[in-house]
Amino acid sequence: MLTIGKIAADVGISTNALRFYEREGLIHPVSKSDSGYRLYDDAAAVRLHFIRHAQHCGFTLLEIRELLALREQDSACCSDVRRLVVEKKLQLEAKIKAMKAMSKALDILIADCPDAGWPANECPILGAFDQVNGGQKP
Amino acid sequence: MNVELFYTEGCSRCAAAREGLKAAALEAVPDTTWREIDAIKELDYAVELGVLTLPAVAINGALVFSSLPTPAQLARELQQRLDLERPDGD
Repeated sequence: MLTIGKIAADVGISTNALRFYEREGLIHPVSKSDSGYRLYDDAAAVRLHFIRHAQHCGFTLLEIRELLALREQDSACCSDVRRLVVEKKLQLEAKIKAMKAMSKALDILIADCPDAGWPANECPILGAFDQVNGGQKP
Repeated sequence: MNVELFYTEGCSRCAAAREGLKAAALEAVPDTTWREIDAIKELDYAVELGVLTLPAVAINGALVFSSLPTPAQLARELQQRLDLERPDGD
């Protein structure tokens, strides 16, 4: 059996993160020691690694719960998991696209600012933000 | 009318629904162009249309159903669009 400190260190997360996962219902201690400390088994460590890896791929805890549920569901198959992963990729690509558009908008603002040492209230960048159409050229 | 069904390979919900939706679309608007798109193979196009969940249905290049419609819902949507396209509005 592993204490909260030991399992958190093994997985590479903080004990606070582990307690948070527990509050979110993603992980549960299998028992408590005589002195009341939470105790976890090896399966909990595997589950924590799963959660961490899925988070690194962009999944939220809610989505991770869905993935974990699929694994335990007899009627679920790999294609159900694949669909969730494809959807996650679509969502990430949409975010990347939106962020690229933001970056491009910043390029325009930077190019419009001559870096002339003007007072801030005359700065063309701040002026562009004031425009009703968001500073975008029609 | 151009209808595009975005799906992912192996999706049981997509496979089960495809034929019913296609039949409903062709019955509602016989000259419908029906295309089934693997979202991973045409990722950029899917993202351009705003597809975030699968399956999804786009009509004339715009995302209309972000979850699977029933055949009746799809037929009704196509019929409404067809009515709007008619010059006399009938």
